[in-house]
Amino acid sequence: MSSAIVWLHGDSLSPTDPALLANPAAPAIFVFDEPFLAAAQLSFKRLFFLYECALEAIAGRTGSIRRGVVVEEVRAFAAEQQATAVHVTASVAPRFRQYVAELRAAGLQVVMHEPPAFVTWRGEPPRRFSAFWRRVAAEALRPTGTGPVLPAEHEVE
Amino acid sequence: MAATWPVLPQLVVYSKETLNDEPTMQLRTDVTTRAEQVAYLAGALDGLYAGPAIPSPIRGGRRAALRRLRAFDARGYARTRNDVAKRGVSVLSPYLRHGVLTLAEVRDSILSRFGHTPDTEKFVNELAWRAFWQLVYAQLGDRIQHDLEPAKHRSRAPRRQLPPEVAAASTGLVCIDESLRELYTTGYMHNHARMWVAAYLQHWLGVDWREGAELFYRHLLDGDPASNSLSWQWVGSTFSHKPYIFNRHNVERFSDGAFCARCPLAAGGCPFDDSYENLAQRLFGVSLAELEGRR
Ligand SMILES: Cc1cc2nc3c(=O)[nH]c(=O)nc-3n(C[C@H](O)[C@H](O)[C@H](O)COP(=O)(O)OP(=O)(O)OC[C@H]3O[C@@H](n4cnc5c(N)ncnc54)[C@H](O)[C@@H]3O)c2cc1C
Repeated sequence: MSSAIVWLHGDSLSPTDPALLANPAAPAIFVFDEPFLAAAQLSFKRLFFLYECALEAIAGRTGSIRRGVVVEEVRAFAAEQQATAVHVTASVAPRFRQYVAELRAAGLQVVMHEPPAFVTWRGEPPRRFSAFWRRVAAEALRPTGTGPVLPAEHEVE
Repeated sequence: MAATWPVLPQLVVYSKETLNDEPTMQLRTDVTTRAEQVAYLAGALDGLYAGPAIPSPIRGGRRAALRRLRAFDARGYARTRNDVAKRGVSVLSPYLRHGVLTLAEVRDSILSRFGHTPDTEKFVNELAWRAFWQLVYAQLGDRIQHDLEPAKHRSRAPRRQLPPEVAAASTGLVCIDESLRELYTTGYMHNHARMWVAAYLQHWLGVDWREGAELFYRHLLDGDPASNSLSWQWVGSTFSHKPYIFNRHNVERFSDGAFCARCPLAAGGCPFDDSYENLAQRLFGVSLAELEGRR
Protein backbone atom coordinates (compact mmCIF):
# COMPACT_ATOMS: atom_id res chain seq x y z
CA MET A 1 0.00 0.00 0.00
CA SER A 2 1.26 3.46 -0.77
CA SER A 3 0.03 7.03 -0.87
CA ALA A 4 1.75 8.08 -4.08
CA ILE A 5 2.29 6.74 -7.55
CA VAL A 6 4.66 7.95 -10.25
CA TRP A 7 3.32 8.68 -13.72
CA LEU A 8 5.94 8.30 -16.45
CA HIS A 9 5.48 9.81 -19.90
CA GLY A 10 7.43 9.92 -23.13
CA ASP A 11 9.42 13.04 -22.23
CA SER A 12 11.02 11.45 -19.18
CA LEU A 13 11.14 7.71 -19.60
CA SER A 14 14.16 6.71 -17.55
CA PRO A 15 14.98 4.95 -14.28
CA THR A 16 16.62 8.29 -13.43
CA ASP A 17 13.39 10.23 -13.94
CA PRO A 18 13.30 12.83 -11.12
CA ALA A 19 9.80 11.81 -9.98
CA LEU A 20 10.95 8.18 -9.72
CA LEU A 21 14.14 9.09 -7.87
CA ALA A 22 12.12 11.15 -5.38
CA ASN A 23 9.85 8.14 -4.72
CA PRO A 24 12.11 5.09 -4.66
CA ALA A 25 9.40 2.65 -3.54
CA ALA A 26 6.35 4.08 -5.29
CA PRO A 27 4.51 2.13 -7.99
CA ALA A 28 4.91 3.61 -11.49
CA ILE A 29 2.78 3.65 -14.61
CA PHE A 30 3.38 4.40 -18.29
CA VAL A 31 0.46 4.61 -20.72
CA PHE A 32 0.55 4.27 -24.50
CA ASP A 33 -1.81 7.13 -25.35
CA GLU A 34 -4.42 5.34 -27.41
CA PRO A 35 -6.40 8.24 -28.97
CA PHE A 36 -3.21 10.13 -29.76
CA LEU A 37 -1.39 7.14 -31.26
CA ALA A 38 -4.42 5.92 -33.19
CA ALA A 39 -4.47 9.30 -34.95
CA ALA A 40 -0.71 9.81 -35.29
CA GLN A 41 0.07 6.35 -36.75
CA LEU A 42 3.75 6.45 -35.83
CA SER A 43 6.07 3.71 -36.97
CA PHE A 44 6.37 0.60 -34.81
CA LYS A 45 10.05 1.42 -34.25
CA ARG A 46 9.15 4.41 -32.14
CA LEU A 47 6.63 2.53 -30.01
CA PHE A 48 9.01 -0.33 -29.44
CA PHE A 49 11.73 2.12 -28.41
CA LEU A 50 9.30 3.57 -25.84
CA TYR A 51 8.43 0.10 -24.60
CA GLU A 52 12.10 -0.76 -24.06
CA CYS A 53 12.59 2.53 -22.20
CA ALA A 54 9.50 1.97 -20.05
CA LEU A 55 10.49 -1.59 -19.14
CA GLU A 56 13.82 -0.39 -17.78
CA ALA A 57 12.29 2.61 -16.04
CA ILE A 58 9.86 0.54 -13.96
CA ALA A 59 12.18 -2.40 -13.31
CA GLY A 60 12.54 -3.26 -9.63
CA ARG A 61 9.26 -1.71 -8.46
CA THR A 62 5.53 -2.26 -8.88
CA GLY A 63 5.02 -1.10 -12.41
CA SER A 64 2.35 -1.06 -15.03
CA ILE A 65 2.53 -0.39 -18.77
CA ARG A 66 -0.87 0.09 -20.38
CA ARG A 67 -2.61 1.20 -23.51
CA GLY A 68 -5.61 3.47 -23.11
CA VAL A 69 -6.73 6.98 -22.24
CA VAL A 70 -3.86 8.41 -20.19
CA VAL A 71 -5.82 10.29 -17.54
CA GLU A 72 -8.25 7.40 -17.01
CA GLU A 73 -5.46 4.85 -16.71
CA VAL A 74 -3.46 6.98 -14.27
CA ARG A 75 -6.60 7.49 -12.17
CA ALA A 76 -7.38 3.79 -12.22
CA PHE A 77 -3.83 2.89 -11.24
CA ALA A 78 -3.85 5.42 -8.38
CA ALA A 79 -7.12 3.91 -7.14
CA GLU A 80 -5.73 0.37 -7.35
CA GLN A 81 -2.67 1.45 -5.38
CA GLN A 82 -4.80 3.46 -2.93
CA ALA A 83 -2.79 6.55 -3.77
CA THR A 84 -4.04 10.11 -3.66
CA ALA A 85 -0.91 11.75 -5.06
CA VAL A 86 0.61 11.45 -8.52
CA HIS A 87 4.26 12.41 -8.90
CA VAL A 88 5.39 13.36 -12.37
CA THR A 89 8.26 15.14 -14.11
CA ALA A 90 7.30 18.34 -15.92
CA SER A 91 7.15 18.58 -19.70
CA VAL A 92 6.59 21.62 -21.92
CA ALA A 93 4.15 19.76 -24.19
CA PRO A 94 0.66 21.31 -24.22
CA ARG A 95 -0.92 17.85 -24.04
CA PHE A 96 0.98 17.18 -20.81
CA ARG A 97 -0.38 20.35 -19.19
CA GLN A 98 -3.87 19.37 -20.23
CA TYR A 99 -3.55 15.90 -18.67
CA VAL A 100 -2.23 17.40 -15.42
CA ALA A 101 -5.22 19.74 -15.31
CA GLU A 102 -7.59 16.80 -15.87
CA LEU A 103 -5.96 14.74 -13.10
CA ARG A 104 -6.30 17.68 -10.70
CA ALA A 105 -9.91 18.22 -11.73
CA ALA A 106 -10.49 14.55 -10.87
CA GLY A 107 -9.34 15.23 -7.33
CA LEU A 108 -5.81 13.87 -7.44
CA GLN A 109 -2.90 15.76 -5.98
CA VAL A 110 -0.29 16.20 -8.74
CA VAL A 111 3.26 16.79 -7.53
CA MET A 112 5.50 18.18 -10.26
CA HIS A 113 9.24 17.50 -10.42
CA GLU A 114 11.55 19.59 -12.57
CA PRO A 115 14.01 17.92 -14.94
CA PRO A 116 17.61 19.03 -14.37
CA ALA A 117 18.24 22.24 -16.29
CA PHE A 118 20.87 22.57 -19.02
CA VAL A 119 20.98 26.32 -18.55
CA THR A 120 18.81 28.60 -16.44
CA TRP A 121 16.52 30.79 -18.46
CA ARG A 122 13.70 33.05 -17.38
CA GLY A 123 11.20 34.73 -19.64
CA GLU A 124 10.68 34.47 -23.34
CA PRO A 125 13.40 33.08 -25.59
CA PRO A 126 14.75 35.25 -28.41
CA ARG A 127 13.63 34.54 -31.99
CA ARG A 128 17.03 33.30 -33.14
CA PHE A 129 19.41 30.69 -31.80
CA SER A 130 22.46 32.94 -32.18
CA ALA A 131 20.99 35.46 -29.72
CA PHE A 132 20.15 32.63 -27.32
CA TRP A 133 23.62 31.11 -27.56
CA ARG A 134 25.34 34.45 -26.91
CA ARG A 135 23.49 34.70 -23.64
CA VAL A 136 23.88 31.11 -22.41
CA ALA A 137 27.23 29.96 -23.83
CA ALA A 138 29.27 30.57 -20.68
CA GLU A 139 26.80 28.70 -18.50
CA ALA A 140 26.21 25.93 -21.04
CA LEU A 141 29.95 25.23 -21.18
CA ARG A 142 30.30 25.05 -17.40
CA PRO A 143 29.90 21.46 -16.20
CA THR A 144 27.82 20.84 -13.09
CA GLY A 145 29.42 17.46 -12.39
CA THR A 146 31.14 14.65 -14.23
CA GLY A 147 28.05 13.05 -15.75
CA PRO A 148 26.65 9.57 -15.19
CA VAL A 149 28.80 6.56 -14.37
CA LEU A 150 29.40 4.83 -17.69
CA PRO A 151 29.32 1.06 -18.19
CA ALA A 152 32.67 -0.72 -18.39
CA GLU A 153 34.28 -1.09 -21.79
CA HIS A 154 33.65 -4.85 -21.99
CA GLU A 155 29.94 -4.44 -21.39
CA VAL A 156 28.66 -4.55 -24.95
CA GLU A 157 25.34 -5.47 -26.51
CA MET B 1 5.85 1.39 -47.42
CA ALA B 2 4.26 -2.02 -47.62
CA ALA B 3 2.20 -2.84 -44.58
CA THR B 4 3.24 -6.42 -44.09
CA TRP B 5 3.27 -7.04 -40.40
CA PRO B 6 2.34 -10.47 -39.19
CA VAL B 7 -1.05 -11.07 -37.64
CA LEU B 8 -0.49 -11.89 -33.99
CA PRO B 9 -2.85 -12.90 -31.22
CA GLN B 10 -3.90 -10.04 -28.97
CA LEU B 11 -2.77 -10.67 -25.44
CA VAL B 12 -5.24 -8.68 -23.45
CA VAL B 13 -5.46 -8.69 -19.68
CA TYR B 14 -8.60 -7.18 -18.24
CA SER B 15 -8.36 -5.36 -14.97
CA LYS B 16 -11.42 -5.08 -12.75
CA GLU B 17 -10.55 -1.95 -10.86
CA THR B 18 -11.01 0.58 -13.64
CA LEU B 19 -13.14 3.62 -12.93
CA ASN B 20 -15.36 3.06 -15.92
CA ASP B 21 -16.55 -0.09 -17.63
CA GLU B 22 -13.96 -0.01 -20.39
CA PRO B 23 -11.48 -2.87 -20.27
CA THR B 24 -7.97 -1.79 -19.34
CA MET B 25 -5.18 -3.15 -21.38
CA GLN B 26 -2.18 -3.99 -19.29
CA LEU B 27 0.92 -4.80 -21.28
CA ARG B 28 3.16 -7.61 -20.20
CA THR B 29 6.47 -6.65 -18.64
CA ASP B 30 7.90 -10.16 -18.34
CA VAL B 31 8.70 -10.98 -21.97
CA THR B 32 12.40 -11.67 -22.02
CA THR B 33 14.08 -11.71 -25.42
CA ARG B 34 13.95 -8.76 -27.79
CA ALA B 35 12.47 -10.88 -30.59
CA GLU B 36 9.66 -12.06 -28.30
CA GLN B 37 9.06 -8.53 -27.10
CA VAL B 38 8.73 -7.36 -30.71
CA ALA B 39 6.23 -10.08 -31.56
CA TYR B 40 4.32 -9.39 -28.38
CA LEU B 41 4.15 -5.61 -28.77
CA ALA B 42 3.14 -5.89 -32.42
CA GLY B 43 -0.07 -7.56 -31.28
CA ALA B 44 -0.58 -5.61 -28.08
CA LEU B 45 -0.42 -2.23 -29.84
CA ASP B 46 -2.25 -3.36 -32.95
CA GLY B 47 -4.03 -0.42 -34.57
CA LEU B 48 -1.75 2.16 -32.98
CA TYR B 49 1.10 2.16 -35.52
CA ALA B 50 1.61 2.10 -39.27
CA GLY B 51 3.89 -0.10 -41.31
CA PRO B 52 5.75 -3.30 -40.49
CA ALA B 53 6.41 -4.41 -36.91
CA ILE B 54 10.18 -4.22 -37.20
CA PRO B 55 12.22 -2.59 -34.42
CA SER B 56 15.06 -0.15 -34.93
CA PRO B 57 18.61 -1.42 -34.44
CA ILE B 58 18.83 1.46 -31.94
CA ARG B 59 17.79 0.05 -28.58
CA GLY B 60 15.68 1.85 -26.04
CA GLY B 61 16.50 2.16 -22.36
CA ARG B 62 19.01 3.78 -20.07
CA ARG B 63 21.60 1.01 -20.36
CA ALA B 64 21.74 1.35 -24.14
CA ALA B 65 21.87 5.13 -23.75
CA LEU B 66 24.89 4.94 -21.46
CA ARG B 67 26.65 2.52 -23.79
CA ARG B 68 26.06 4.94 -26.65
CA LEU B 69 27.35 7.84 -24.57
CA ARG B 70 30.47 5.90 -23.67
CA ALA B 71 31.06 4.91 -27.31
CA PHE B 72 30.83 8.48 -28.62
CA ASP B 73 34.24 10.02 -29.23
CA ALA B 74 33.87 13.79 -29.38
CA ARG B 75 37.35 14.31 -30.83
CA GLY B 76 36.97 15.51 -34.41
CA TYR B 77 33.26 16.34 -33.98
CA ALA B 78 33.55 19.90 -35.32
CA ARG B 79 35.20 18.62 -38.49
CA THR B 80 33.13 15.48 -39.12
CA ARG B 81 29.66 16.29 -37.77
CA ASN B 82 28.37 17.53 -41.12
CA ASP B 83 29.68 14.54 -43.03
CA VAL B 84 26.95 11.96 -43.56
CA ALA B 85 29.54 9.31 -44.51
CA LYS B 86 32.08 9.84 -41.70
CA ARG B 87 29.37 10.00 -39.04
CA GLY B 88 31.18 11.92 -36.34
CA VAL B 89 27.86 12.35 -34.55
CA SER B 90 26.66 10.80 -31.30
CA VAL B 91 23.23 9.33 -32.23
CA LEU B 92 22.11 10.28 -28.73
CA SER B 93 19.02 12.13 -29.97
CA PRO B 94 16.48 9.33 -29.33
CA TYR B 95 17.60 9.19 -25.68
CA LEU B 96 17.70 12.96 -25.22
CA ARG B 97 14.28 13.34 -26.78
CA HIS B 98 12.70 10.88 -24.34
CA GLY B 99 14.53 12.07 -21.24
CA VAL B 100 16.55 8.86 -20.97
CA LEU B 101 19.57 11.14 -20.88
CA THR B 102 19.44 14.83 -20.00
CA LEU B 103 21.27 17.57 -21.89
CA ALA B 104 23.04 18.49 -18.65
CA GLU B 105 24.44 15.02 -17.98
CA VAL B 106 25.57 14.55 -21.58
CA ARG B 107 27.30 17.94 -21.49
CA ASP B 108 28.96 17.08 -18.17
CA SER B 109 30.13 13.68 -19.38
CA ILE B 110 31.61 14.99 -22.62
CA LEU B 111 33.38 17.97 -21.02
CA SER B 112 34.81 15.88 -18.19
CA ARG B 113 36.10 13.16 -20.51
CA PHE B 114 37.31 15.24 -23.47
CA GLY B 115 37.98 18.63 -21.85
CA HIS B 116 37.27 22.04 -23.30
CA THR B 117 38.22 21.94 -26.98
CA PRO B 118 36.72 23.38 -30.17
CA ASP B 119 35.16 19.92 -30.71
CA THR B 120 33.44 19.71 -27.33
CA GLU B 121 32.36 23.35 -27.52
CA LYS B 122 30.74 22.71 -30.88
CA PHE B 123 28.99 19.66 -29.43
CA VAL B 124 27.64 21.62 -26.47
CA ASN B 125 26.50 24.31 -28.91
CA GLU B 126 24.49 21.63 -30.75
CA LEU B 127 22.96 20.44 -27.48
CA ALA B 128 21.88 24.04 -26.93
CA TRP B 129 19.81 23.92 -30.13
CA ARG B 130 17.58 21.37 -28.48
CA ALA B 131 17.30 23.52 -25.34
CA PHE B 132 16.43 26.52 -27.52
CA TRP B 133 13.67 24.76 -29.47
CA GLN B 134 12.20 23.49 -26.19
CA LEU B 135 12.03 27.05 -24.83
CA VAL B 136 10.26 28.22 -27.97
CA TYR B 137 7.83 25.31 -27.60
CA ALA B 138 7.25 26.13 -23.93
CA GLN B 139 6.39 29.69 -24.94
CA LEU B 140 4.30 29.06 -28.05
CA GLY B 141 2.84 25.57 -27.56
CA ASP B 142 0.96 24.24 -30.57
CA ARG B 143 1.46 27.52 -32.44
CA ILE B 144 4.80 26.05 -33.57
CA GLN B 145 2.75 23.94 -36.00
CA HIS B 146 1.89 27.10 -37.97
CA ASP B 147 4.14 29.55 -39.81
CA LEU B 148 5.80 31.62 -37.09
CA GLU B 149 6.86 34.36 -39.51
CA PRO B 150 6.11 35.13 -43.14
CA ALA B 151 8.44 33.19 -45.45
CA LYS B 152 11.29 35.47 -46.51
CA HIS B 153 11.18 33.93 -49.98
CA ARG B 154 8.76 31.41 -51.41
CA SER B 155 9.74 28.69 -53.82
CA ARG B 156 8.23 29.11 -57.28
CA ALA B 157 7.53 25.37 -57.45
CA PRO B 158 3.78 24.78 -57.71
CA ARG B 159 2.30 23.56 -54.43
CA ARG B 160 1.80 19.83 -54.34
CA GLN B 161 1.16 17.06 -51.86
CA LEU B 162 3.84 14.69 -50.70
CA PRO B 163 4.52 12.53 -53.77
CA PRO B 164 4.31 8.74 -53.36
CA GLU B 165 7.97 8.39 -54.46
CA VAL B 166 9.01 10.14 -51.28
CA ALA B 167 7.04 7.70 -49.12
CA ALA B 168 8.59 4.84 -51.11
CA ALA B 169 12.15 6.28 -51.12
CA SER B 170 12.14 5.98 -54.91
CA THR B 171 12.63 9.53 -56.17
CA GLY B 172 15.57 8.31 -58.26
CA LEU B 173 17.92 10.71 -56.47
CA VAL B 174 20.32 8.50 -54.56
CA CYS B 175 21.19 11.11 -51.89
CA ILE B 176 17.51 11.61 -51.09
CA ASP B 177 16.44 7.97 -51.37
CA GLU B 178 19.29 6.65 -49.22
CA SER B 179 18.50 9.22 -46.54
CA LEU B 180 14.81 8.33 -46.60
CA ARG B 181 15.58 4.63 -46.53
CA GLU B 182 17.70 5.08 -43.45
CA LEU B 183 14.84 6.98 -41.83
CA TYR B 184 12.29 4.29 -42.68
CA THR B 185 14.45 1.34 -41.59
CA THR B 186 16.28 2.72 -38.54
CA GLY B 187 14.24 5.71 -37.36
CA TYR B 188 17.32 7.91 -37.60
CA MET B 189 18.62 10.34 -40.20
CA HIS B 190 21.83 12.36 -40.12
CA ASN B 191 21.30 16.09 -39.50
CA HIS B 192 22.79 17.17 -42.82
CA ALA B 193 20.62 14.66 -44.69
CA ARG B 194 17.57 15.99 -42.82
CA MET B 195 18.44 19.44 -44.13
CA TRP B 196 18.81 18.17 -47.70
CA VAL B 197 15.54 16.26 -47.63
CA ALA B 198 13.64 19.12 -45.97
CA ALA B 199 14.98 21.62 -48.53
CA TYR B 200 14.30 19.29 -51.45
CA LEU B 201 10.70 18.68 -50.40
CA GLN B 202 9.93 22.34 -49.74
CA HIS B 203 11.93 24.27 -52.31
CA TRP B 204 12.26 21.84 -55.23
CA LEU B 205 9.01 19.88 -54.93
CA GLY B 206 6.76 22.59 -53.45
CA VAL B 207 5.53 20.40 -50.56
CA ASP B 208 4.18 22.21 -47.51
CA TRP B 209 6.59 21.92 -44.57
CA ARG B 210 3.88 20.47 -42.35
CA GLU B 211 3.58 17.42 -44.58
CA GLY B 212 7.31 16.87 -44.52
CA ALA B 213 7.44 17.38 -40.77
CA GLU B 214 4.64 14.87 -40.31
CA LEU B 215 6.50 12.27 -42.38
CA PHE B 216 9.65 12.76 -40.30
CA TYR B 217 7.72 12.73 -37.05
CA ARG B 218 6.09 9.41 -37.86
CA HIS B 219 9.45 7.71 -38.40
CA LEU B 220 12.08 9.41 -36.24
CA LEU B 221 12.93 7.78 -32.92
CA ASP B 222 13.88 11.29 -31.83
CA GLY B 223 10.73 12.79 -33.41
CA ASP B 224 10.01 15.84 -31.31
CA PRO B 225 7.36 18.49 -32.01
CA ALA B 226 9.75 21.33 -31.21
CA SER B 227 13.02 20.18 -32.83
CA ASN B 228 11.24 18.76 -35.85
CA SER B 229 8.66 21.42 -36.75
CA LEU B 230 10.97 24.31 -35.88
CA SER B 231 13.80 22.83 -37.97
CA TRP B 232 11.40 22.50 -40.91
CA GLN B 233 10.46 26.14 -40.41
CA TRP B 234 14.13 27.07 -40.19
CA VAL B 235 14.77 25.42 -43.57
CA GLY B 236 11.69 27.13 -45.04
CA SER B 237 12.51 30.61 -43.63
CA THR B 238 9.35 30.96 -41.54
CA PHE B 239 11.61 30.82 -38.47
CA SER B 240 14.91 32.06 -39.91
CA HIS B 241 16.05 34.93 -42.09
CA LYS B 242 16.57 32.93 -45.30
CA PRO B 243 15.57 29.62 -46.87
CA TYR B 244 18.22 26.91 -46.61
CA ILE B 245 19.36 25.52 -49.97
CA PHE B 246 22.14 23.14 -50.98
CA ASN B 247 23.67 21.95 -54.24
CA ARG B 248 25.34 18.88 -55.66
CA HIS B 249 28.77 20.12 -54.70
CA ASN B 250 27.63 20.21 -51.07
CA VAL B 251 26.24 16.67 -51.28
CA GLU B 252 29.44 15.32 -52.85
CA ARG B 253 31.66 17.08 -50.35
CA PHE B 254 29.77 15.84 -47.29
CA SER B 255 29.10 12.28 -48.43
CA ASP B 256 32.54 11.33 -49.67
CA GLY B 257 31.07 11.41 -53.19
CA ALA B 258 29.38 8.08 -52.44
CA PHE B 259 25.81 9.04 -53.35
CA CYS B 260 26.64 10.73 -56.66
CA ALA B 261 28.96 7.85 -57.63
CA ARG B 262 25.93 5.56 -57.66
CA CYS B 263 23.36 8.03 -58.95
CA PRO B 264 21.94 7.58 -62.45
CA LEU B 265 21.31 11.33 -62.60
CA ALA B 266 24.94 12.22 -61.91
CA ALA B 267 25.67 12.29 -65.65
CA GLY B 268 22.75 14.60 -66.36
CA GLY B 269 19.44 15.70 -64.88
CA CYS B 270 20.51 16.15 -61.26
CA PRO B 271 18.27 18.94 -59.91
CA PHE B 272 20.94 19.97 -57.42
CA ASP B 273 23.77 20.30 -59.96
CA ASP B 274 24.03 24.06 -60.16
CA SER B 275 25.66 27.09 -58.56
CA TYR B 276 23.92 28.73 -55.61
CA GLU B 277 23.43 31.83 -57.74
CA ASN B 278 21.53 29.85 -60.38
CA LEU B 279 19.57 27.87 -57.79
CA ALA B 280 18.41 31.08 -56.14
CA GLN B 281 17.10 32.26 -59.52
CA ARG B 282 15.60 28.91 -60.50
CA LEU B 283 13.89 28.13 -57.21
CA PHE B 284 12.97 31.57 -55.89
CA GLY B 285 13.37 33.93 -58.82
CA VAL B 286 15.82 36.14 -56.94
CA SER B 287 19.58 36.64 -56.85
CA LEU B 288 21.62 34.84 -54.24
CA ALA B 289 22.30 38.16 -52.53
CA GLU B 290 18.57 38.81 -52.29
CA LEU B 291 17.88 35.28 -51.08
CA GLU B 292 20.42 35.71 -48.31
CA GLY B 293 19.01 39.09 -47.35
CA ARG B 294 22.17 40.94 -48.34
CA ARG B 295 20.28 43.21 -50.68
C1 LIG C 1 14.28 18.92 -40.89
C2 LIG C 1 14.88 18.58 -39.56
C3 LIG C 1 14.13 17.88 -38.62
C4 LIG C 1 14.67 17.55 -37.37
N1 LIG C 1 13.89 16.87 -36.45
C5 LIG C 1 14.40 16.57 -35.23
C6 LIG C 1 13.61 15.88 -34.26
O1 LIG C 1 12.44 15.55 -34.49
N2 LIG C 1 14.19 15.60 -33.06
C7 LIG C 1 15.48 15.95 -32.77
O2 LIG C 1 15.93 15.65 -31.67
N3 LIG C 1 16.23 16.62 -33.66
C8 LIG C 1 15.74 16.95 -34.88
N4 LIG C 1 16.52 17.63 -35.77
C9 LIG C 1 17.85 18.12 -35.35
C10 LIG C 1 19.02 17.18 -35.66
O3 LIG C 1 18.98 16.76 -36.98
C11 LIG C 1 19.07 15.96 -34.74
O4 LIG C 1 18.95 16.35 -33.39
C12 LIG C 1 20.39 15.22 -34.90
O5 LIG C 1 20.53 14.81 -36.23
C13 LIG C 1 20.43 14.03 -33.97
O6 LIG C 1 21.56 13.25 -34.24
P1 LIG C 1 22.74 13.06 -33.20
O7 LIG C 1 22.22 12.74 -31.85
O8 LIG C 1 23.68 12.07 -33.80
O9 LIG C 1 23.35 14.54 -33.19
P2 LIG C 1 24.69 15.12 -32.57
O10 LIG C 1 25.35 15.93 -33.64
O11 LIG C 1 25.51 14.08 -31.92
O12 LIG C 1 24.14 16.16 -31.49
C14 LIG C 1 23.97 15.86 -30.13
C15 LIG C 1 22.58 16.26 -29.68
O13 LIG C 1 22.35 17.64 -29.83
C16 LIG C 1 21.00 17.89 -30.20
N5 LIG C 1 20.99 18.55 -31.52
C17 LIG C 1 21.97 18.55 -32.44
N6 LIG C 1 21.63 19.31 -33.49
C18 LIG C 1 20.39 19.76 -33.26
C19 LIG C 1 19.49 20.59 -33.97
N7 LIG C 1 19.80 21.14 -35.14
N8 LIG C 1 18.29 20.84 -33.42
C20 LIG C 1 17.96 20.31 -32.22
N9 LIG C 1 18.77 19.54 -31.49
C21 LIG C 1 19.97 19.26 -32.01
C22 LIG C 1 20.32 16.55 -30.29
O14 LIG C 1 19.63 16.29 -29.10
C23 LIG C 1 21.47 15.60 -30.48
O15 LIG C 1 21.22 14.31 -30.01
C24 LIG C 1 16.00 17.96 -37.04
C25 LIG C 1 16.75 18.65 -38.00
C26 LIG C 1 16.21 18.95 -39.23
C27 LIG C 1 17.05 19.71 -40.23
